[in-house]
Amino acid sequence: MYELIGVWCIVLLTLSIFSYLYGDNPFYKAAEHIFVGVSAGYIFTITFWDTIWPNLFGRLFPDYVGAGFSFDLTYIFPLILGVFMLFRLSKKYDWLSRISIAYIVGMMAGLKFYVFLNSNLLTQIKSSTVNLSGTYFSIFNDIIILIGVICGLVYFFFSKEHTGTLGKISRIGVYFLMIKFGASFGFAVMGRISLLIGRFEELIEFSKPEYYYSTPLTLFIMIKLIGYWAYKDNTKPLQK
Amino acid sequence: MTKIFTNIKKYLIDLGKLDRRFIFILIGLSVLIPLIKPNWINIPIKTTNNSQIVFNELNRLNEGDRVLVSFEYGASTKPEIHPMSVAVLQHLFSKGVKVYTVPLWPEGLMMAKYAIQEVVDSKLFNIKEHVDYVSLPYKAGGEIIIRGIATDLRSIFTQDVNNILLNEIPMMEGVNRVSDFDFVFDLSAGVPGNAEWVQFACDEYNVPLSSGCTSIMVTDAIPYVESGQIRGILAGMPGAAEYEQMVFNHLNSLEKNKYMNSNIAVVPGKATSRMSAQSIAHVLMVVFIILGNISYYLLRRRTE
Repeated sequence: MYELIGVWCIVLLTLSIFSYLYGDNPFYKAAEHIFVGVSAGYIFTITFWDTIWPNLFGRLFPDYVGAGFSFDLTYIFPLILGVFMLFRLSKKYDWLSRISIAYIVGMMAGLKFYVFLNSNLLTQIKSSTVNLSGTYFSIFNDIIILIGVICGLVYFFFSKEHTGTLGKISRIGVYFLMIKFGASFGFAVMGRISLLIGRFEELIEFSKPEYYYSTPLTLFIMIKLIGYWAYKDNTKPLQK
Repeated sequence: MTKIFTNIKKYLIDLGKLDRRFIFILIGLSVLIPLIKPNWINIPIKTTNNSQIVFNELNRLNEGDRVLVSFEYGASTKPEIHPMSVAVLQHLFSKGVKVYTVPLWPEGLMMAKYAIQEVVDSKLFNIKEHVDYVSLPYKAGGEIIIRGIATDLRSIFTQDVNNILLNEIPMMEGVNRVSDFDFVFDLSAGVPGNAEWVQFACDEYNVPLSSGCTSIMVTDAIPYVESGQIRGILAGMPGAAEYEQMVFNHLNSLEKNKYMNSNIAVVPGKATSRMSAQSIAHVLMVVFIILGNISYYLLRRRTE
């Protein structure tokens, strides 16, 4: 029974989101708000019970929480910083939240600086070099990558006007960037189609008699209702 | 003759003004028809080099090796990533590898549970929780959690997903940091994802890493693959389909495997059956892009 209710909810919410392709309508609005509300509630609950409760309170009140941590008074500082964040809601004391934000930004900047330098800068520079011990094809590939890297970097060099030779090199950099954006677009399309396939597969599955023809029935009712709303509100057509 | 060309030109320009809802319907049908009638179109799947590298890397693992599988995707990206999760788990369990799952996204917790459940329910493998796999709970923090796993896993995780203390799980003995794992496999759909695993853990501690990710992430991850920081990559649904095929062939080729139930048939995964729909939709998209560009070019010339 609960599974069936879940199935009908899945179908209704999926078709409600798809209905936006026709135009903005109450089904879409309802599904959108439910999605935001449920996501926020789910993330809040899971973060509290899986992280804050065991990892923070589990160290401050180890016997009560029983998460397997021993008592550690230093965890009072994360608790205070966390409480400070909530002061963003107060006009008078919102300056306290800046202390927490400053800590997060400072800590992440320090951490990111090292890992980015190591993994993205040094290793990527190393991998951009031409390996002359490879095959002719790999050497050719390496040369293309090296040209692409240099020309791409020149495009982002703004201290000198992009004219003459610098302009030509920068132009080649633009072509490399365009190829990258084109590939990204292609992959983005592929990803979106994959998601559509996933939704369609479930809708097809839930069209079966064991689910009481959930998809066709919901679709029929929705089309009727959207048509009715459009007819009643014909002075204000559906927003495309 | 000139009149015919003028008419074609007019039609092409008018095509640019086509109501977008017709395009939606056509894309919908191009996906729907191959899914309803899979026998009508059967496009063969060719294994790409990056998928083959992933397979070879995991195939090189030995019995008892420890693999950390990180789940960083949710319901919205499930069609792309979930088939590869199941295929990767099948491959690992067929080799007697110990699997440790960790979700870094709130929804990853459910995805890890569903993937493990799907493999357990198939009854293809003789696997038991806490003997062959351990599921760690979700912890908020993203990169910080990855860093924590890299340096001191026990400072973050003390219990598994069922609130069993890690000290009481024999599989967890000697597992304290990322370097205690023989391999990390990342299944990601965003941030934190494979880039964060490279930066915050695997590069510094020299732990081999492979990844399966959404199509949209591939172009950003490729530099890491080219440099060897990520060993191969499963790129979206095609990557999942390729990997499923390789695992399907691998499982069928195993004559006697103590980890598998020989009386259960190996069935192909879900991504394989979706590839025809994907390919047809791509062809249609390419046609639309070409026609749209011609229409735009002609319109611009006319206005100039």
